[in-house]
Amino acid sequence: MEAVLAIAIGALAGSGVWLLLRPRTFQVIIGLTLISYAVNLFIFSIGGLRVGADPVLGAATDPSRYSDPLPQALVLTAIVIGFATTALFLVVLLTSRGLAGNDHVDGEDGTP
Amino acid sequence: MMPYGWISTAILLLPFAAALVTPLIGRGNRKRTTWLMTGTAGVCLILSALLFPAIAEGEVLRQSFAWAPGLGLDLTLRVDGLTWLFLILVSGIGLLVGIYATYYMPREYPLVRFYSLLLGFMGAMLGIVLSGNVIQLVFFWELTSLFSFLLIGYWHHGKSARDAARTALIVTVTGGLCLLAGVLVLAHIAGSYDLDAILAAGDLIRDSPLYLPALLLVLLGAFTKSSQVPFHFWLPQAMSAPTPVSAYLHSATMVKAGVFLLLRFWPVLAGTEQWFWIVGGVGLTTMLVGAWAATFQHDMKAVLAYSTISHLGLITMLTGLGSTLGVVAAIFHTINHATFKASWFMAAGAVDHEAGTRDLRRLGGLRHVMPITATLAVIAGAAMAGVPLLNGFLSKEMFFAVALGANHGLALDTLTVLVAVAAAALGVTYSLRLVGGAFFGPLRHDFPRTPHEPPRWMRFPIGILALACLAVGIFPAWVVGPLLRAAALSVLGSQLPIYNLAIWHGLTMPMLMSVIAFVAGCALYVSARRRIAARDSTPLIGWIRAMGWFERLLAFLTTTLPELLAKVFPGRKLQVQLLLVVLLAGIFGLLAVQPLPMPIATNGMHVDPAFALLWLLGVACAIGAAAQAKFHRMAALILTGGTGLVVCITFAWLSAPDLAVTQLVVESITAVLLLLGLRWLPKRIPGLSPLSPSARYHRIRDAIIAIGAGVGLAILAYTVMLHLVADSASRFFLEQALPDGGGRNVVNVILVDFRALDTLGEITVLAIVALAVFALLWRFRPATESIGSPRKRDVAAAQGEAHAGRQRAALADQLAIPALLILLVAPAIVLFALHLFLRGHDLPGGGFVAGITVTMALIVLYMAGGARWVEARLKVAPARWIGAGLLLAIATGLAAVMLGDPFLTSYHGHWTVPVLGNVPFNSAMLFDLGVFAVVSGASALMLVVLAHQSLRRVIHAPETPRDTDEAVS
Amino acid sequence: MNGALAIAPILIPLIVAAIQVSLGIRFRRLRTSLSFLSCLALVAVAAMLMMSASSGEGTTLVYNLGDWPARFAIVLVVDRLSALMLLLTAVLALAVMPYALGRWQRMGPHFQPLVQLLLVGYNGAFLTGDLFNLFVFFEVLLAASYGLALHGSGARRVGAGLHYIAINLTASMLFLIGVGLIFGVTGTLNMAVLAHLIPGLTGTPRALMHAGAALLGLTFLIKAAVWPVGFWLPRTYSAAIPPVAALFAAMTKLGIYVILRLSLLLFGVDAGAASAHFGSDWLLWLGIITLAVGSIGMLGARELGKLAAYCVLVSSGTLLGAVALHSPGVTAGALAYLVISVLGIAAFFLLVGLVVPREVPEGTAQLEPYDPAVDALFAAEDERRVTSPSPVVILAVCFLACGLLLAGLPPLSGFLAKFALLAPMLGHGTGATLLFALTIAAGLCTMIAMARAGIQIFWADSDREFPRVEPGETVSVVSLLGICLVLTLVVAAPWNYLSATARQIHAPEHYIQAVMGQATGTRP
Repeated sequence: MEAVLAIAIGALAGSGVWLLLRPRTFQVIIGLTLISYAVNLFIFSIGGLRVGADPVLGAATDPSRYSDPLPQALVLTAIVIGFATTALFLVVLLTSRGLAGNDHVDGEDGTP
Repeated sequence: MMPYGWISTAILLLPFAAALVTPLIGRGNRKRTTWLMTGTAGVCLILSALLFPAIAEGEVLRQSFAWAPGLGLDLTLRVDGLTWLFLILVSGIGLLVGIYATYYMPREYPLVRFYSLLLGFMGAMLGIVLSGNVIQLVFFWELTSLFSFLLIGYWHHGKSARDAARTALIVTVTGGLCLLAGVLVLAHIAGSYDLDAILAAGDLIRDSPLYLPALLLVLLGAFTKSSQVPFHFWLPQAMSAPTPVSAYLHSATMVKAGVFLLLRFWPVLAGTEQWFWIVGGVGLTTMLVGAWAATFQHDMKAVLAYSTISHLGLITMLTGLGSTLGVVAAIFHTINHATFKASWFMAAGAVDHEAGTRDLRRLGGLRHVMPITATLAVIAGAAMAGVPLLNGFLSKEMFFAVALGANHGLALDTLTVLVAVAAAALGVTYSLRLVGGAFFGPLRHDFPRTPHEPPRWMRFPIGILALACLAVGIFPAWVVGPLLRAAALSVLGSQLPIYNLAIWHGLTMPMLMSVIAFVAGCALYVSARRRIAARDSTPLIGWIRAMGWFERLLAFLTTTLPELLAKVFPGRKLQVQLLLVVLLAGIFGLLAVQPLPMPIATNGMHVDPAFALLWLLGVACAIGAAAQAKFHRMAALILTGGTGLVVCITFAWLSAPDLAVTQLVVESITAVLLLLGLRWLPKRIPGLSPLSPSARYHRIRDAIIAIGAGVGLAILAYTVMLHLVADSASRFFLEQALPDGGGRNVVNVILVDFRALDTLGEITVLAIVALAVFALLWRFRPATESIGSPRKRDVAAAQGEAHAGRQRAALADQLAIPALLILLVAPAIVLFALHLFLRGHDLPGGGFVAGITVTMALIVLYMAGGARWVEARLKVAPARWIGAGLLLAIATGLAAVMLGDPFLTSYHGHWTVPVLGNVPFNSAMLFDLGVFAVVSGASALMLVVLAHQSLRRVIHAPETPRDTDEAVS
Repeated sequence: MNGALAIAPILIPLIVAAIQVSLGIRFRRLRTSLSFLSCLALVAVAAMLMMSASSGEGTTLVYNLGDWPARFAIVLVVDRLSALMLLLTAVLALAVMPYALGRWQRMGPHFQPLVQLLLVGYNGAFLTGDLFNLFVFFEVLLAASYGLALHGSGARRVGAGLHYIAINLTASMLFLIGVGLIFGVTGTLNMAVLAHLIPGLTGTPRALMHAGAALLGLTFLIKAAVWPVGFWLPRTYSAAIPPVAALFAAMTKLGIYVILRLSLLLFGVDAGAASAHFGSDWLLWLGIITLAVGSIGMLGARELGKLAAYCVLVSSGTLLGAVALHSPGVTAGALAYLVISVLGIAAFFLLVGLVVPREVPEGTAQLEPYDPAVDALFAAEDERRVTSPSPVVILAVCFLACGLLLAGLPPLSGFLAKFALLAPMLGHGTGATLLFALTIAAGLCTMIAMARAGIQIFWADSDREFPRVEPGETVSVVSLLGICLVLTLVVAAPWNYLSATARQIHAPEHYIQAVMGQATGTRP
């Protein structure tokens, strides 16, 4: 389980970083999205991986029966903030494309 | 003792006060400004004179004020013989220059700025000599550099003046900073910033390993200020300052600050080999170079400048020789040089003022038209040349005596003596050139102006100084004896040597040397003056051009070096910057982990095949997106969505339904936003030409880095998953959520209660982003080529790149009926959102998810009706929602404060409400309602603004921002 | 209760911003006066917090939100340092406010609320005692800064903003990874609890914790624009409008603040052999390089805006190096330098907007390069003309003051600050000596660059067109410089506060006790 998730995180981060280093704005924003997936999974994994644990408090009082809520809360906040900043980046990217006339990250269209 | 202390304070404060008052006097009122200037200088002079009895026998007056005790800084005013001497020089010559300037400065100038700067400089200069605290000394030292900069640049529309000012500033401030470092080191050794403490710690300092650095730094300060080789170049250039400034700063006072420093620290730093070699050597060179260069100048002020350099070199050398008589001679010559050089500067100024030129080759015979000035100039010149019965002669004799008395090995001594004589001879020559060139010979008639005797009060200062030269020269023992003694005492203390201030010591060796020098000088003048007049550059050393080197250095620092740096690190490129960030992250991570053991544990390898398969898909999607993002954005977007879906499923799988839901809604809304944006990006056709080698290199490099990053993060994630701490804060939350948080959905309780501040911040971020997006797009027009013609749009549509582009087209025709159905769906979605919201505290859901869901309804409306249609009917103002939501959330928190509990304390209970069933009442729910409002408002705002862009395409007449506001806020 | 005061610096601007937003784009005057009120209130609150924090040898005020035990919920902590930073930003904001009243805020909508939200971010980051909450407030700050950096739009701002946002988004990812690692191995996000747990860590967990700390450190270094991750700063700051750039002057200092706080709290002497002074050598050398690079950039700057931006680099390099020395004396000096450089740089940014003619695009002045050609001495050229009119004189004097302040030359407080920073540096090893030398050299470079700019602007062309200066703009510049002047004369009391602050943060057990003491809240 852990191994799979770790590899998954790695793969997402890897492809994200690759895109991050590309010269086109759209590539960068997709890259950031992928990286944020990886990061969210990473934080989530800090709580330990629990299959079939109960997310919502039921009759049982033993905490160990429930999945760790705190990392989930952190991830939720992270997701929201990620969403917001991505949206802003998107708009800036569009504006820059409109003002600079191309979609290169530096505004000047050089080699891809 | 006390009154004396207050006198010194007054001396320090008066000039600054006057400098501040001067501008208040009207620009027009020339006379009053002059009176203020001269009056201040005069009062300072008198007050200083009053101090003499208190320090005549080597006593020290001290007066301290607390300034920054914590920093070990007190404002200490310290007066001893040396200080007193400089006080008299600075204020006395200040007075004379003040008088002189009134008549020298052209009428059309308001003197306000000039005098207030001059006063400021005087104050700074007095501050240096009065300082009883080394930091304070540096403080005023830098102030003098500053004021000299402003004074040299006084006529700043002349390029030469500007450059001169800049050069002087840079050189002297550099020195000043070195001095700061130097005194910090000294203070570090001596353990105090107090001057007396440092003077007392002489042996400690000389034995310290830090002695040499301290010495060098202090000397750098002194040499730059008193323009010693190789820092001498700023002084001749500074001659483009108004002549009164040259007379004051560059003959009598500022350049003497360096000398003062040497004498001040003589008891501490002198007497070592290093001191002898550095100070003596530099002084000797400067003396010779200055004299030689002076001989070949044609501008009178240039001659004076170089001769000043030469005399300063002489004084420096005298302090450097390490003999006590040398110190006495140095002090004595400081006085004499100040008198005759200042008077000569003023005379030169008078000539310039009258004849309109200072070029010796164009002057001549002025004694016929301005006899008095001529006489005074002759006296001063003779003093400079060292003619008997004048002060210059005496100090020169003493200097020769010192040179003869030196015993540092025969060769060196003879060299010293020879250089001494040579310099003296050259001194005679250039004095003759000045006097002869300007005043003697036939009167010429081709001057720019018709010269005549300058006004009386312009001659007066020159006369006073000339008189001083004579007086000192004839009755040395009476006139300067006491103050020379006092000054020497304050430096040498007990080791004051026997010296004899007489005009005639009999036929001694020094006398003989003077005669030789005098004869040689005259001979040189008579034989070579025509050839000298013909030359344009100084022979032998003319090619060195220290100024040129300085300019080149400056050019290197300000142009070459920065450009080089920019080439090595092209920081303007985003890719480079991100690359550096990623690399640095890797390096940091490795370095942090590397010293400590990190075994790769093996438990955690057991794999659920379904899960693995799921992620095989997810990873494939991610990599596919990475590959497609350049040419097929739509595909990349879909693939990314696929990965997002897998992430979402993973959350659900690993028992985190809240995350799954949130991930899902965020996923979809992000997708919509991206789709709205896609159509404005230029479309790319895969390039048929093969990659350029550089591009291929970049790709390989980036691939390696990307893989490295991935592997690194994977290992980190794996390791940390297997080393989780047993009891985290979570246990507490699980225990407290129901009893005290009043909710079964612990995650939600954490969000709205335990860590509500995070949520508050999170919604604030959303709000800000919405505002920023609105602000950015409210006047923005999409790039024209992406707006394009209908047929082009169809092509784009065919390429599937203009999803949003279709929306409006859609409305018009075939989709009418489904659109109607969709419109009916929207309210249902809103209802569902409400449900999600209400159950949030106990089951997966909550304000955020509900908010996004509402936005979904809006999207549906857009898909059906198109932007126009929605904006026409949408009467909600998202911006208001945002504001209201924030306020509600805060108010919920503040209610607790009102009730005396900390911010965001929650109160809860459960109610049973018809229809909706058992509804938990919870103050946290109000908070969540705020979250809901902000989220829906913010995402709606972004959506509306983005969608609104599609209208801009249709409306070609530029719309006023106003109607955008109607639509949006 | 006194505790409510601790949350006020976050709530006041937040509430004001919310009201301003709901007012929409109308009632400009009302919205502006609200901003003024909030800034005044912030200054007052910060001053009160400072007093409470400096009573005695410094009482650390802890405020646990939601009334949950400090270990689990989020806490706000007010000690001398955070109070100082709060007051500094509040004063800065208040001083900048009049400047923006005129043409600047009209360049786009929502200027005022964005400024308020920026303040929310600042204050939250200064106050919070919780790592993840710190991340949230960083994001608030950044989001607001994105909005402000883009205020007025235009190709240059958007281009710079694109880079700025991309880099900071990446940085945020690193931040999250770092927090995740630390939480994973320690199970807490509370800084004090963390500091309490770290000595107990061993083996792999400690290694992971270090990795997390290193990644966190990197994000703070990016915020502080340290070389080689600080290239974004000159472009972004010089592209932003002057009042925004002035407000940003404190942003790099926030990075320094966090580094200072965490490195002393988590990696002090009693963090265990393996962790004590973790990474401080790196910080020192990075600081030194940043200082050097900044100085060179300053010398090469062809625009006033760039020049000011490189001043920021220089100051954060200096501060980073000083912080890394882990010596109370140096830290005290560094704090003095921090305060002065924030005020001075802000004033300079504002001044740039006034000196530059409006027709020049993007509000920057072009400076010609030096020509190496040697000028003939004593060129007797047009020497007699009359001097310039008075408003220019005011600008010139302010410019001179800025130059002296930033170069650390007398008579303004820049000199004292530099002295306070340099004096205790001697005798801390090679690195410290190098830093000492470079700090002095940087002063020289600043002086050269400023002198050159000043000469070209105020002396070279006497018939230069200066833009019309609105009264508010002058008020801002003059008041900022005035504060620095006052700090030259009134030294004793501020200095005592600063040195006490340094002593306090170098004894972290204070902080830890104060927070852990709250471990059991009023709730069970």
